[in-house]
Amino acid sequence: MKLAKVLGLVLLLTVVGASLTFSNGQKITFYSTQMRPIEEAQWARTTLLPPFTSETGIGVDFIADEYSPWAARLIGEHAVGKGTIDLVGGLHGDFLGVPGTMADISGTLWYLQGKGDRTFIESFVKMGQMGGIQAYIPWMQATYLMVINKKALQYLPAGVDYNALTYDQLLAWAKNIYEATGQKKLGIPAGPKSLLHRFVHGYLYPSFTGSMVKEFKSDDAVKMWKYAQDLWQYVNPSATSWDAMAEPLLDGSVWIAWDHTARVKDAIKAQPNNFIAIPSPAGPKGRGAIAVLAGLGIPKNAPDPVAAVKLIEYLTRPSTQVEILNGIGFFPIVKEAASAVPTGAMQILAKGVTAQAGAPDAIVAMIPGGLGARAGEFSKIYRDTFMEIVVKGKDINATLTAQGKLLKELFADTGAACPPPDPTNEAPCVPENIP
Amino acid sequence: MGFLRRLLRTDTLLPYWLLLPTVVYLIIFFVLPLFQAFSLSFKTDDGQLTLKYFERMVYDVGFMDALKNTFLLAIILVPLQLITALVIALLINTNFRGSRLFLYICAIPLGISDLASGLVWFSIFSEHGYLNSLLYKLGILSQPFHFLSYVHLPWTFGAILAAEHWRATAIVLVVLVAGLQMISKDYLEAAEVMGANKLQRLWYVVLPLLKPSLQAALIIRTIFAFEVFAVVIALAGNLVPVLASQSYWWYALYRNLHIAAAYGVLLMTLSVLVTWGYLRFLRTREEALR
Repeated sequence: MKLAKVLGLVLLLTVVGASLTFSNGQKITFYSTQMRPIEEAQWARTTLLPPFTSETGIGVDFIADEYSPWAARLIGEHAVGKGTIDLVGGLHGDFLGVPGTMADISGTLWYLQGKGDRTFIESFVKMGQMGGIQAYIPWMQATYLMVINKKALQYLPAGVDYNALTYDQLLAWAKNIYEATGQKKLGIPAGPKSLLHRFVHGYLYPSFTGSMVKEFKSDDAVKMWKYAQDLWQYVNPSATSWDAMAEPLLDGSVWIAWDHTARVKDAIKAQPNNFIAIPSPAGPKGRGAIAVLAGLGIPKNAPDPVAAVKLIEYLTRPSTQVEILNGIGFFPIVKEAASAVPTGAMQILAKGVTAQAGAPDAIVAMIPGGLGARAGEFSKIYRDTFMEIVVKGKDINATLTAQGKLLKELFADTGAACPPPDPTNEAPCVPENIP
Repeated sequence: MGFLRRLLRTDTLLPYWLLLPTVVYLIIFFVLPLFQAFSLSFKTDDGQLTLKYFERMVYDVGFMDALKNTFLLAIILVPLQLITALVIALLINTNFRGSRLFLYICAIPLGISDLASGLVWFSIFSEHGYLNSLLYKLGILSQPFHFLSYVHLPWTFGAILAAEHWRATAIVLVVLVAGLQMISKDYLEAAEVMGANKLQRLWYVVLPLLKPSLQAALIIRTIFAFEVFAVVIALAGNLVPVLASQSYWWYALYRNLHIAAAYGVLLMTLSVLVTWGYLRFLRTREEALR
């Protein structure tokens, strides 16, 4: 009898427990290439997503992965027809690598726009249109800019406004520091997983040539590479081992750094009184800068697309957008949030981003679309060109010819259109002066 | 009927049944991917045969350097490690007091992954690492020396040599120690009786009898030397390209699986050629054992 009573109690508890679990049981999977560093993933799980769960009762399983396995999984699940992912987060370029796997969410976009509390940046919405459908809705944006340690200000050449630097002024500044201290305090990330290629194709090329692809090999480009060789004399020699600039800024190896906002954010957060964020420099043709865009998509075979739409609504709310800025340093893509003042160190970055975006001589560059799965080869061409000419000191014209051939082939094979600032109606994009 | 019955008798077939799971595993996880790699490197996505991926591989900026570095590392490391391992193995074989413990200590690197070894040596050679701190304390340096930067590439190469030597000698050592223990004491005693001194015994008795182990150790070590990867990436990133790292970057960063497969096929061909070379030129002659 006693045994029966105990068994009965266990059974009762199991049933109660099971029913409790099932009542809160709805869970969706959010699979993203963004918010991958441990601190960011933790922040997503403990700060960003719980309010969504308490509001809707839907739990979110957040999984972050590098692009390579992320793409492999999405393509694999689509091929097999069995989906386990409800919401996908990725960069514009990531979505290009998984064509055909995303559902058309233009309906979701209309629903969100109809809510009246958020105005998406139009050009970003257009970027989300791939393969004839709305493959993703903009989620957050980032850009690359310069961060300076206030210690560097005393070496700034006289009469120079650091919020409107030119590349020549940057060189003079770095040279001053070297001559005064004997140390090379300029930092550009040049490690294998760094974003060096973005600096080359999105900042140097537009600023010096007004182009990204077409003028790859041109007289302006040759001048630019000669400048880069000069600038490299004042870059810290450890740069080729750095994938991000936050640590070199924090430990003082570098006083002037260029990098993605997310890769310098930790330095500013740790020592907000030591750093200022400034727009990237301007070259002869203007102030070139890239707009980087992350989006949210729903796979065609998502188990629970309705819940995924709810999560998209939550993540694009202006208040959540400000949270994201505070949490991981990615900037809002809805205009209402941009005017909200972020607290603390984010204000410093926001000032720099706004100054860069609002610069009168700004040239907007974008990471080329249409290269599909071969986007990585585009990055490799610019990175290799930099390493060959600047780091290894090889002949400029010969390298530009050799790499230019690869660039021409790449665009010819993929049929991709020229990215801004080149004329976007030319497809395939043909770099000039390449035999 | 008799033939069939013989075939089905379990004691004849038992070895094959026992091997079957391993063979199936190898076919699924090694042979099939091998064929896939070959077809990836020679066929386009549409299924056309082409050499363009190999052409692209050779045209790549990193290719000649990768080939050069891989060969250079192998040519320097393998003989060096062979000699080091042989010396240590002979020492251990004298069974001095504590030789067992000494063997275990020397074999510690075997238990560590390549990447962990690379990171350990990175913490020695890096700008704020142990070596720089030591040299600074001894007053030899007033500013950190960038061992691992492009301005001091020979030093970077040296650091890789040091790390690889430390990490991979153990496997050669273990094979040689086992081989030495298999040599019967009778041969050595007979040689001593006939008046051979220590060096002559080593050259005329020990080394010939050690040939099978030497062959095995050399094949293993050389193939792994061509595949050197994690240590190079940990210490030098892409400053010192090697074949395996190029294959990896083409797969993970640039997402062109065809070219990554081409590098893989090249690596495999090199390994096969080298193994064939060793088997051919280090053939054990039966006379040595009589």
